[in-house]
Formats: sequence, structure tokens, C-alpha cells
Amino acid sequence: MEPSLEVRDVRKTYRGVVAVDGLSFTVRPGEVTGFVGPNGAGKSTTMRLLLGLDAPDHGEALVDGSRYGTLDRPLTRVGALLDADAVHPSRRARDHLLWMARSNGIADRRADEVLDQVGLAAVAHKRAGGFSLGMRQRLGIAAALLGDPPVLMFDEPTNGLDPDGIVWIRLLLRALASQGRVVLVSSHLMGELQDTADRLVVIGRGRLVAETAVPDLLASVSRDQVEVVTPQRSEAMTVLANAGATVTVQAADGIVVEGLPGSEIASLLGAAGVTFVELRRHRASLEEAYMELTRGAVEFATADEDAR
Amino acid sequence: MTGALRAEWTKARSLPSTGWLVCVVALGMVALGLAVTGTLRVDECGDDPCVLDTVRLSLAGVNVAQVGAAVLGVLLVTGEYATGTIRPTLVSVPRRGEVLAAKVAVVGVLTAGGAALGVGGALLVARAVLPSRGFTAEAGYPDSTLLHDLTQRAAVGTVLYLVLVALLGVGIGLLVQDTGGAVTLMMAVLFLGPVLALFVSDPDWQAWLHRYAPTDAGLAVQATRDLAALHIAPWPGLGLVAGYAAAVVLAGGVVLCRRDA
Repeated sequence: MEPSLEVRDVRKTYRGVVAVDGLSFTVRPGEVTGFVGPNGAGKSTTMRLLLGLDAPDHGEALVDGSRYGTLDRPLTRVGALLDADAVHPSRRARDHLLWMARSNGIADRRADEVLDQVGLAAVAHKRAGGFSLGMRQRLGIAAALLGDPPVLMFDEPTNGLDPDGIVWIRLLLRALASQGRVVLVSSHLMGELQDTADRLVVIGRGRLVAETAVPDLLASVSRDQVEVVTPQRSEAMTVLANAGATVTVQAADGIVVEGLPGSEIASLLGAAGVTFVELRRHRASLEEAYMELTRGAVEFATADEDAR
Repeated sequence: MTGALRAEWTKARSLPSTGWLVCVVALGMVALGLAVTGTLRVDECGDDPCVLDTVRLSLAGVNVAQVGAAVLGVLLVTGEYATGTIRPTLVSVPRRGEVLAAKVAVVGVLTAGGAALGVGGALLVARAVLPSRGFTAEAGYPDSTLLHDLTQRAAVGTVLYLVLVALLGVGIGLLVQDTGGAVTLMMAVLFLGPVLALFVSDPDWQAWLHRYAPTDAGLAVQATRDLAALHIAPWPGLGLVAGYAAAVVLAGGVVLCRRDA
């Protein structure tokens, strides 16, 4: 059976506060799926529901089609980094991995292997209380990899990592996905996922905002926009605005034009004697795409409330 | 289940506090026992004939040891909530009943080990010290030996009592979750009864406290003399504590299984 993570119409409230509200999505193997939304959108809650730590009020959260609680030796099916601080400060790093390994009949040597893999071999016998946030994050990732599981879940894995660490985890996520695993990685920073994620599950206020492939999302936001680099910015803006385009300033010598095709922009500027250095299709950043999406979600939510 | 057991055993062993608390149980038994037996004098006994229960006095260290046992039981649970390791624990072993059973087994074995060492040590020390304090066979005090039925009952009973106290700690830890709160409640459970009994003047209330308070009821099993004066018989007293422990552990288990982690 193909490994998968699946959330079906899940609803979860904590003391009357809705954390997740009718959420459904599926995560497929072989891709890095980014799980994004603002702080408090319900990302961590969804992961806790998938791991059987919390019980949904309604709906199902399934791993490989089963509830987590029914899995045998679950660490060999799913690996998860939820909270890097969930380590006893008095326990040595290796011991933290040993008890987890033994709970699932995983060989002790795996503890040493994953410590090596995350770059903590040198501090294996140090107590976790002395670790920096970045080191605890790596230890949490080591724990997730312990059972060599086909499904992996990481909640904000780059928290506290230095730039080297961030590059390392990107490569790790890509490598895990290319091995055909299910990889779900949450973040509240879109930019972080720009070069890592293949697909995105975007949530806001506990609801699904979008479930889409990253290239499609970028294309939908970048539609019809052209970037113009020119030393004569204000002249160019006047000419193009008069021709009916929407023009926004992007940088000291750059503008983004919407509403006119590139060829027409070139001839208009040429006719007006405005020089330009560059003319190219605008590629939106994931950050912009995200803002666009969540703006929609907020508007939708407001309209929804007005309708009551 | 073996996985859960191995995990809990590894967890307990990899924390320095575990070793210290087992030492408190063992050394508390021996040290306080020595302090009591080493200062006893047969001619200061008062009554005639003198009926000091030397076995029970030798095992007086249980008053210190039970604190170690209680804190051991509490910490192996509340430590998980305080540090957040309860989540990796339940992710590793999602069947929560197994987690509870494994914790009970590990706490039980650790406490029984420390208690057996402590009880054995305290009896040996008493055997070495008491004759020099005048408690000889001629004075009516044969050596405390485990071959003696009542001494045997006191020794085994003390070990079992300490195990039950540690398990009460596990249950209260699950119910309260917070280390400070759970330890405080545990101390109240152990010491409130005996302390209240000191201050309550009504003899009926006093008898009731001695009969039902966990410490008094559970330690009736240590008596080897003057058994008629006990407020509750030795084994039923220990049985009552076992009932308390079972009820609290079960309640803790229900909460563990029902609650979001």
C-alpha cells in the first residue's frame, strides 16, 4: 500500500475555541508538501490529530489509511518532529533516541546512525539540557528518522537553525521525498518553502484555503505581469498608465506592469523615447502568492460572517 | 507490551534522579533504622516487662524511605509532562494503557529493589547494634531474623508498602500532572493522617485516623508485638493501601487515556 497522510473533514475545538474546522486534504508520496498558514491557523493541531495525540471531535485523521493508534510499531510507519523542546534536559541525547528505538523494537545502532546523519554524533553522550535550540531541533529530526519511516511530518523544522542548518534541512527534505516518502513540512514563512516544496496545503483559521502544486500557484499569481527595468522610471510609468495599464513600483529602477502585453509595452516605450534595460515576465514569489491567497480567505471569512 | 516496558525502563535508567531516589529509599531505611536502634537502651524502656517492638523500630526508616518512593513514582510521570516528553512517549506507544502498565511495572521493580536492600540492611544493622544496647535473648529479645514469621511479615510488608506508595505517586502524578502539586498532595496523603491523629483529642476520631490513614494502615504490617493493640490487622491494613493505590492508578489511567496530550 502506498504511504499517505489523510485528513477527512476534521473538526477540533479546545474549550469552545475552534482550532480546525472541516479540514480535508491528502499528502502524497514522492513530493515535499508544504503545510502553511499564519500562526494559530491549526497546523500543529492537525499534526497532533494525525499522531493520535489529540482526538478529533469529528472526522478522521489517517496514516496509510488507518488511525495512528491502531498502527503496530508506529515509529517505523511515521516519523514526526512536533516540538524540539520535548526532550528531558537531564537525559543524554543518545538515551533519548534509545528509549524511543526500544519502544518500537528498532535496533540500538539506529540511534547512532541517525545521530550521525543529523550531525550530533559528537554530542551523543551530552545531556540535552545543554543543547541550543538548533541542536534540539536536529535531535528531534533524528528521532523522526529513527524508524526509517515512509511517512514524515515536520512542524516548523527550521526554527532556531542557522543558515547552514536551513540549507541542510532543505536538502534532507528533498532527499527524503525523492526516495518516495510522504513528506509534510509546516511553516508560517512561505519564503522558506519556495525552493523546497512541490505542493502546498494552505490553511487559515482552521480551514483549507488552497491545495495546489507550487508552479500552478505561482503561475496563477504571476498572470499578465511584466517587469520593466528602466533608468527613466517616472516617464515610463506615465506613458504606460496613460495607455491604461496598472503600474506599481517594484525597486529603484523597476516597475511591474499589469494589463498590457510585453510587446505593446516595448513599442509604447519606444515611441515615447523612454529607454529600458530589461523587459521580462514577472515571476511572483511564493510570499506574494500566499498573501494573495490568504487575503482571499480573510475576505471570504468576513463575507461569511456578514451573511449571518 | 515488551516495547513499552523496555522504553520505560530505559527512560527511568537514563535519568540521574532515578538512581538518587532509589538510594533515598535504601539508605533512608538503613540510616534512620540505625539512628533509632543505635540510641535505644533496654533499661530506659519504662514498662515492666518491657515490650518494645524492636523489629518495628529497626524498620522505622520507612518514614524517610516512603518520601523517596513517593517522589520516584511522581517524577517518572510528571517529569514527562514538565518536559513535554509525554508526546514522544505516546507517539512511540499509542496504546496508552500499555504506557501506564509499563510505568507501573518499572516504578514497582525499582522501588522494590531499593526497598529490599534497605529493609535487609536495616535488619542487619539492628542485629549488630541491638545486643550491645541490652536487647539480648536473655532480656526477651531474640535476634531479629527473617526465619521468624512475624519479622518476615514485617520485612516483606515494608517492601510492599513502599511499592504501593510509589504507585500512589504514579497515580497522583497522572491526575495532577504538575510536579510541585503532585509532590505536595503525596506528602499530604502520607503525613496528614499521622499528624492529625496527634492533634485530634477525640479518641474515636483518633482511632478512625489510625485505621484508615494510608501510612498508619499500611505500616500495621510492621508490628511484631502487642498485635491486639493495632487499629487494623497487618495484612488487611496493607490491603487497604493496595486498594487506595489501585483506585488512584486506575483513575490516573482513565484520565491518561481520555485526555488530549
